[in-house]
Amino acid sequence: MSRPELTGPAAHFYNEKEARKYDSSSRMVGVQREITERAIELLRLDHSQPAYVLDIGCGSGLSGQVLEEKGHFWLGCDVSRDMLLVAQERMHNQAENDDDDDDDDESMDGDSNHNIKKQRKSTGDLMHHDMGTGLPFRPATFDACISISALQWLCYSNSAQQNPRRRLTRFFSSLYTVLKRGGRAVLQFYPETAEQAVLITECATRVGFAGGVVVDYPNSAKAKKHYLVLSFDRNSEQKRKAALKDGLSSAAEEQQSVLVTGASREGTKKAPIRKKKGVKTKEWIVHKKETQRKKGKAVRPDTKYTARRRPTKF
Amino acid sequence: MRLLTHNSLKNNSAAAKGKGFPLKVTVAQIRVDEQDGIDDDTKISFIQGILPNLDWPALVAASQAMGIPTLPPALTEDLAENRVFLVALYHVLMNVHLVQGMLTCPVTGREFVVQNEIPNMVLEEEECEAVRF
Repeated sequence: MSRPELTGPAAHFYNEKEARKYDSSSRMVGVQREITERAIELLRLDHSQPAYVLDIGCGSGLSGQVLEEKGHFWLGCDVSRDMLLVAQERMHNQAENDDDDDDDDESMDGDSNHNIKKQRKSTGDLMHHDMGTGLPFRPATFDACISISALQWLCYSNSAQQNPRRRLTRFFSSLYTVLKRGGRAVLQFYPETAEQAVLITECATRVGFAGGVVVDYPNSAKAKKHYLVLSFDRNSEQKRKAALKDGLSSAAEEQQSVLVTGASREGTKKAPIRKKKGVKTKEWIVHKKETQRKKGKAVRPDTKYTARRRPTKF
Repeated sequence: MRLLTHNSLKNNSAAAKGKGFPLKVTVAQIRVDEQDGIDDDTKISFIQGILPNLDWPALVAASQAMGIPTLPPALTEDLAENRVFLVALYHVLMNVHLVQGMLTCPVTGREFVVQNEIPNMVLEEEECEAVRF
């Protein structure tokens, strides 16, 4: 199955017919639900406090619905108007269906709270918008951001003016601005190649985000899911808070959090000894034996005979 | 489009130079939800969360354009702790929908159409801010 991103712009692919198909396929709905649940788990939201969440590439509102079920409020953006119209239908139907259920249960359950819950209107709002043009919101508007299966569309340019790197950078720098400090973003995406995953992560970390990619089911080509988890530098946040608390000016604090590595991780291993002089020098052999010992393998002790030139080939 | 959404929405095109807020609201059709089925505690909890970030003058102007003249011109501390006020504020922010209308940038005059409750904020690539990449 070829990738939809290769056929053209997202707005063209997700036309009315495709939008309906997408929303009515129970398998699709199931998969997207699962992904959303996992993304919300990675967001580590406090479900006792309703959060204001930005849903990027909200499509037909599947992810928004899951957010609502957890008690949050959301604003969804999508570049395809047809998908948004399907989302609206879904949101209106949801409210209506709840109204119908309410009539049946009223006789059985006298608890007023239960009735009210059944008539719940959607807490989501929709917007027609292209994420590559930057998010048009005031700074620090949202508590969190979520995106399901949308980000990879930015990697394909559909006109001479569109440059993927530029669009990605614009998107991430605007995301950095519109998220509240202490907020998190979890963006699930389908990279076509490893380079794409690196490109996306690079653009995100360059604008100042901390974080990296979580890969679920890494060994299965079909089930593999990439989640870009972004947050603001927690160390500087923690240091600031501690400094304020203790009235200290210096902030020499131990690193308490585990830093998830970004894509631009430099080679941290020491360069192995170059085999320039001849094929296998004594240095190289001794170094290799050391490495094997560290791995826990059985290695002969180093003696004066180590790496000695043998008179005949073995 | 809800008033809550409008309160954070701005024109981020290059021409607006960061000043594309607030968008002026022109109304053609409005829809108001009478009942929303959400309990007061949730409403108050949510409003308290977003209250510090609301741009009050923009909210008052937009709500007046949408036919709701009842918001006070300034937000005082007493009001911010008044439960009845917070629930009423929730109603104004969340239950009044602009179905058909126009949003206009105060600096450039660029118009964003609102149709079927959905605002069209799609910018062309040329309109966007330049970014170092």
